[in-house]
Amino acid sequence: MTATENITTEQGPSSRRRRRTGAGSRAGGSAPWVLIAPFLALFILTFILPIIVAIGSSFTRVTRSGLFGEEGVTTQFAWFQNYAQALADGNFIASIGRMLLFGVVQVPVMIVLCTILALLLESASARWPGFFRAAYFLPYGIPGVIATILWSFLYVPGLSPVIDVAAAVGLQLDFLGPSTVLWSIANIVTWTYTGYNMMIIIAQLKSIPTELYEAAKVDGASSWRVARSIQLPLIRPALVLTTVFSIIGTLQLFAEPQVLQTVAPAIDSQYTPNLSAYTTAFAYNDYNVAAAQSVLIALVAFLLSFLFLRFTNRRSS
Amino acid sequence: MRQFTRRQALSLGLGAGAAAVLAGCATPGTTSVNSAPTIGAASAGEKIRITYWAWLKDLQKVADVWNAQNPNVQVDVVWIPGGNSGGYQKLYSALAAGGGPDIAQVEMRTVPEFLLVNGLVDLSRYGADQYADLYDETLWNQVSFTGGVHAIPQDSGPMGFYYQPEILDSVGAQPPATWDEWADIARELRAAGGVYLESFPVSDASVFTAYATQAGARWLTAEDDGWVIDMTDEATLEVARFFDAAIDEDLVDTASTPYSPGWFAAAADGGIGACTSASWGDALIAGISGGEGKWRVAPMQRWSNLPDSFGSSFLGGSTAAVLANSNHPKEALDFAVWMTTSPEAIDALIEYSGIGWSPAKDEIGSVREGAGSDFFGGQAYNTEVFEPATLEQNTEWTWWPITQQSFNILSDGFRRKASGVSLVDAVATAENQIVQAFRDKGLTIRKADS
Repeated sequence: MTATENITTEQGPSSRRRRRTGAGSRAGGSAPWVLIAPFLALFILTFILPIIVAIGSSFTRVTRSGLFGEEGVTTQFAWFQNYAQALADGNFIASIGRMLLFGVVQVPVMIVLCTILALLLESASARWPGFFRAAYFLPYGIPGVIATILWSFLYVPGLSPVIDVAAAVGLQLDFLGPSTVLWSIANIVTWTYTGYNMMIIIAQLKSIPTELYEAAKVDGASSWRVARSIQLPLIRPALVLTTVFSIIGTLQLFAEPQVLQTVAPAIDSQYTPNLSAYTTAFAYNDYNVAAAQSVLIALVAFLLSFLFLRFTNRRSS
Repeated sequence: MRQFTRRQALSLGLGAGAAAVLAGCATPGTTSVNSAPTIGAASAGEKIRITYWAWLKDLQKVADVWNAQNPNVQVDVVWIPGGNSGGYQKLYSALAAGGGPDIAQVEMRTVPEFLLVNGLVDLSRYGADQYADLYDETLWNQVSFTGGVHAIPQDSGPMGFYYQPEILDSVGAQPPATWDEWADIARELRAAGGVYLESFPVSDASVFTAYATQAGARWLTAEDDGWVIDMTDEATLEVARFFDAAIDEDLVDTASTPYSPGWFAAAADGGIGACTSASWGDALIAGISGGEGKWRVAPMQRWSNLPDSFGSSFLGGSTAAVLANSNHPKEALDFAVWMTTSPEAIDALIEYSGIGWSPAKDEIGSVREGAGSDFFGGQAYNTEVFEPATLEQNTEWTWWPITQQSFNILSDGFRRKASGVSLVDAVATAENQIVQAFRDKGLTIRKADS
């Protein structure tokens, strides 16, 4: 209490003085800018400017004459030609559709799973919650590339003990087939991020005042009732947050399919939207179309997150 | 007043900076170094350094041999990831930024792609033509475009048939002389014990392309009025039909690609009997656990019913290309020619870097003369199989500016084989898509008159 008082008494006169004298107000006006300048410079250079350049690039087109452009290269403003080309590419559209399917299945599974884990670990009867929290969170500490390599040893026929055991009981498993590989990737993603999302939910659970639990106990509520009527409604913001992050993360899937490509012939160069933009930019050297693809991915991610937030807001009101 | 000017100066500076950055971000690779004047050789006594970005291992040891003899031209090697696994991405970015090394390892098939971004120096302007006689004609043809020489061949991959005699013996077969015999052996092996003779990679079109090349295909030709495409010629369709039948009959394994972890596992426990591959495949096949002494090499099987087909083909192969931003193209060329033609360099490349087949005419490297390694039972396969193979290749073949994209288009089509789209249809569809991709780049292309 005394500390706050000190601050207010100190701030009072100084702000009054600043208002009074012109010189002081000028110094106060530029000081914040000087202080955030390092951040602002980096933010503009590495964030805002690249976005502007990417959008600019997505409206540019290069035409070449001759066999390789040796007879002249022209760069012109192309309106929406690159976007038209990106959208006319069936494989790119298919990759977005594939990620939507992936998201519709994987995101709910992961959110339900991490909520259950969080509730179990935060329940009164949980044993060694600290140990299990760390254990569930551990996969998040493993880089996606390494995780995929690890999992691929369980997926590749001839190397995988899982396939061998299944074969011994007469079950033919194919984790890398055209119709199954998407779910093999979903499994890796779920394994990696469930613990991470669980942590966010646990943080929210811990912020629930104990009075509510005590009141519930006094009223004779069962643990199930506590979870349903107190915990779930109160962790809603965390659930919304993790879901939005997961939707965005789904559209940005890259490392897992890229690494799994070496063992799964079914994964093509445009398997996910990001992989598609990467291939277009760095394997085909078509930065302009890649920029258009990237803008489209960002728009879809924005749209999906927006729709989800609209949906949850409407339901709560 | 003072404050006003300061802010004004600041905003002016920011604006100018942003404009400069935006101007610098014009689509890269739109100006050609080959219309600029040539850069003269360094003056006598001047010490220069050349950088070489490559994914060959221990290449610096080879460069050190040169460095010891040429104190004034020192070559530094920087390792980059192989080709499309990150190396090209790095090179393209460096070129776009106006930098990059003097020399870069670029695959034979990727040379035209680098031409498209104006990334390569035309070495004929620095006297490369005088070295043409030193190189294999097929390979020299693949680096020569529009009257120029755009890279120096560095290694190649003449093809042969790697096989396990024990597995072939189990059905009483000898290495096949023709693809029809190959199919018979595959059929017998499948019937006998479910063993696959080979795997057919649906996800890597370069192998199919190599087979089509052997069959006599010539997919793209550079004419005066633009590119001419012909992917639905009889040779290509014959190869496509052949593998359509092989896959339909389940004669080849399509679930794994050669040299993938699953393939190694299958090859180690006898699930795969053979592999039609390039000369550099020997090092990879030697990595099959427990395969010691079990493998041999035979000449590649031929397309008996195609009169214009060839005895062998090529898979992979790379070049040393001088990049557009090099300050010392003349010296870079000298080093590249020394590295790929002098016997000491070829031996060093084989010994330290395990490089593919030498592009130099009549110079395979002393290590490769005579008996081979124990893994192949001491068979002198280099002189028996691969040296003759280099003389039986499709010399007319040229690569084109969107090879990688074309391979991806083809592979995407081949993957649909599982859902019933034939390879023949995939090739025909791919041809149309490749034409479209050329036009999207603003390049001129037309279908060959049939």
